[in-house]
Order: sequence, then C-alpha cells, then structure tokens
Amino acid sequence: MALIEIRNLGVTRGKQQVIKDLSLDVKEGTITAIVGANGSGKSTLIGAIAGDHRLDTGSISLCGNNLTKISLAEQSRLRSVVTQNQVFWLAFTVRQVIEMGQSIENLSRVESVISQLDMGEIVNQSVLTLSGGQLQRLAIARALVCDTPIYLFDEPLASQDKKSKADLIALFCKMRDEGKTIVIVMHTEVSDLDWCDQIIEDLS
Amino acid sequence: MKKIYLLALLVAVIALFALSLGATAVSDVWASILKFNFQSTEVSDQIIWQIRAPRIIGAVILGAVLAIAGVLAQGSTNNPLADPAFLGTTAGAALGVVIGVLTNAVSIASIGSIAWATCGALLATLLTFWLARNALQLIIIGIAVSATLSAIVGIAISIADRSDVRSVTFWSLGSLSLLTWSNVAVLSVVAVAVLASARALSPQLDLLSLGDSQIRHSGRDPQRIRLIAFLILSIAIATSVSQVGTISFLALAAPHIARFLVGPSHRYLISAAAVIGALILLIADTAARSIAPPQDLPIGLLISLIGAPVLILALKRGGVQWR
Repeated sequence: MALIEIRNLGVTRGKQQVIKDLSLDVKEGTITAIVGANGSGKSTLIGAIAGDHRLDTGSISLCGNNLTKISLAEQSRLRSVVTQNQVFWLAFTVRQVIEMGQSIENLSRVESVISQLDMGEIVNQSVLTLSGGQLQRLAIARALVCDTPIYLFDEPLASQDKKSKADLIALFCKMRDEGKTIVIVMHTEVSDLDWCDQIIEDLS
Repeated sequence: MKKIYLLALLVAVIALFALSLGATAVSDVWASILKFNFQSTEVSDQIIWQIRAPRIIGAVILGAVLAIAGVLAQGSTNNPLADPAFLGTTAGAALGVVIGVLTNAVSIASIGSIAWATCGALLATLLTFWLARNALQLIIIGIAVSATLSAIVGIAISIADRSDVRSVTFWSLGSLSLLTWSNVAVLSVVAVAVLASARALSPQLDLLSLGDSQIRHSGRDPQRIRLIAFLILSIAIATSVSQVGTISFLALAAPHIARFLVGPSHRYLISAAAVIGALILLIADTAARSIAPPQDLPIGLLISLIGAPVLILALKRGGVQWR
C-alpha cells in the first residue's frame, strides 16, 4: 500500500516553479531517497509533504488523508519531520529540548531514543554547545520520540562523521524493518544508496 | 527555586525599610511602622500607611508585572531584544490613556484609565501582529508602530491646553507618586491574573524557542501561542502605563537577569523574573523619593542606573545563557 501518494504536484518558491507535475508513490515500510543538485527542489518536496508549502497544483495524501484537508495536529500524528539548520538562542539542555511539548506517551520513549542515538553523554549539555552533527541527532531524537508511521528527514547525514553516518543508516534500516516509512533528502552519490528501496533523482 | 524565595524575602525586607524613608521626616518612624495601624488618624501613621505603603506595594507589584511582560515579549517573539516597548504595546497603552484623559472620559491613574490603556495596548499590539509575517518582522514593525504612536502621544500632550494632563515626563519616564490603595487593589488582581496565565502558557513559550516550523510540525500553531502571549502582555503593560506612565528597560532587563539564576525554562523564569522586576523597581522607586527629597526623581532614570549595571554584570559573569 502506498502510504504517501503524490499526484501531479506543482510547487512554486518565490517566482520559480521548483516542482512541476510530479507524481510519486511511497510504499509502506520502505526508504525513499531524494537526491539531486543544489536548488533542484529536494527540500521543497520534503517541505511540501510536511505541509510547509502551498501547492499550486496536484495533491499529496498521507495514509489516505488529503494533506490540505487535515489539521496540523492530525498531520503530526502521521509524520515526523527533521529539518536542517535548527537554531537555538536559549541554553536549554539536550534533554529539555527532546522532552519539550511531548505527550506523556511520547515521554515514555525518551530514554530508549537517547540510547538508540548514543546521546547519553550529551543529554545534560546546553544545546548552545553542540556541534552540527550533534544538533542533527537532537532533531532526529525529537522525531523518533513521536513514533509516527512516516518520517521525513532533510539531509540527516550531512554533518555526521563516518561512524555516526553508518550508525544512523543502520537505525533507518531497523526502522524500515519495523514497518516505518522513511523519506530522506540526501547529497550522496546514487551508488552509495544500496540501503534505500527507491531513489528519486529528477523532480521537474 | 531557593534563590527565588531568598530574593522574595529580600524584597520584603527592603519594602519594610522603604517605609521609613521619604520626603517628610516622621518622628518615631519604626514605632509607627511596627504598629501596622492602617486606620490611624495620626499624621505620622497616615504618611506611612496612606502615602508610602501603597506606593511601595504598588512598586513591587508593577515591577513583577512589567518583568513578566518582558518574559512574554522575548519568549513569544523568540528574540532576546524584544521588549513590550518594541511591539507597539507600551505606546499603544499610552495613547489609549491620553485619548481617555483628553476626552474627559477618565482621569490619570484612575481605574477607568486601565480600560483605555488596555484597549490602546491591545489594538497596537494586534496591529503589529497583523502586519508582521514572522518573529523578526514583529520587532521591526513593532518599533515602527511604537514610533508612530509615541509621536501622536507627544503631539497630543504638547498641544493639549490642560493642567491635569501632566508633563511629558510622566509619560516618557514614569512616576509612582499617584498610587493609592484603590490602585493597589486593582493592580493586585491584574498581577495575579497575569502571573497565573503566563505560567499556564510557559510550556508553549518553551516550545516557541524551537522555531515556527518545528512547532507546526509538532501539530501546533505558533501564531496562536503568540497571540495569547500578546493578550496577556497587553493587559500587563496597559495596567502599568495607566497607573504610572511608561517605564522602560525593566521589562527588557529583568528576564535576562532571571535567566542567569534559573536558566531558560519558562516555568521557573516567569516567577524569577517577577521577583527580580519587583526588586529593581522597589529599589529604584525608593531611591527616586529619598535621594533628593522633597523632589521625586523620574523613576525611569533610576531603573536604568540600577538595572543596567546589574544586567551587564549578569551577562559578563553568568556564563552562556543565550546567544
């Protein structure tokens, strides 16, 4: 079954139509990679699926629900989003940020997510002291705590070292094996994506 | 939390000490203070309990209310530079009171003037909110709205040919000299409401620090949280402006000083900032009326004089709390 169905999608950013007439199915329990050059619309596509952009044409449905017809709260129960460049100005601790605004059910998953992502050592640190890679893992941790059927990741591997990259890929594969559906924007060579089930290269 | 309680105790001690200071020398001042006789007809008791006490308690409450407004402004715009004066709120409240007073609807520092100030503050803040598309624009547009409304207030006061429309100083630098027990009663009610509602909003204010797109992704509308914060801060600022004129800097400084004591989590920050705000305004007002008696120095100047060095010291010695 296709958990994400995109039909004849068109999205304009500024004055430029970045995505034209795109149709795409993402099956349940798969990993889909979106690759391509800078400015090719990768992040725009993942933003559109996340509900961030107005659609010029076409439709997106998540688990059978038309994206434009469901509330923010309903969307958040269907998918989790990890964006790039999270900026903090207040010295919250890593744990405080992971737990912020989470339901009681989500809070019960915090400890296991922290150990899954190997964040035990930084969990009491101020987020202002984190490196780029650690900030990305923090954003991934917030998403994993939510336990949704769909995960949207925008460049989650960009600032990770070799070992963290391998660990995260292993984690994504484990999530897929548990039935999660994952869409990842990446800057990687297609030849390195043998762990993905579907690769989307051309968005226009 | 222990630090907050200690500071609250300090506020109480200074407030008691402040009762003994003032323009008129009272003989046997501590005997009068310790009698706690509010109904006394003796002149010395009346000076202490009918003139000094409401002003001192008013300063404590207003300091707390202004500081909470500052926390709400910084938290809701996700910006360390935010201040109710930069959102149009303060100028809107001042314009509301000036219109109310000039049309003979209310008198300055009356309870009715709070209603006029609240209308002005709410309309101005909502105008800023409606014109701005994101948190950064809020500040820039807010400054523009403030500048426009302040100019109208200044012109209205300058051309008003009325003795009871007090000097421009009252509106630009503030004064607590008009406070009475009936003002204090209204202030207390507003302060409790502002504190309770701000605390109830504190988990959402924490969330705003993640940025608007993160909040939307987690299923909430950041603009809605912001709107509620603005409603609370408008009422807080309106109360303050209608009673004592505009008092600047305190709302900006108190939250930053409080962060060095309790960290960024709004649950504790709101209480801590309230106590810091109360402390600074109490010390500033006590200094304003006792440095050069019988002159009442403009409170705004003393707040800057006391608050600014404390703020700089906190930023320099408190470690990294924000960037």
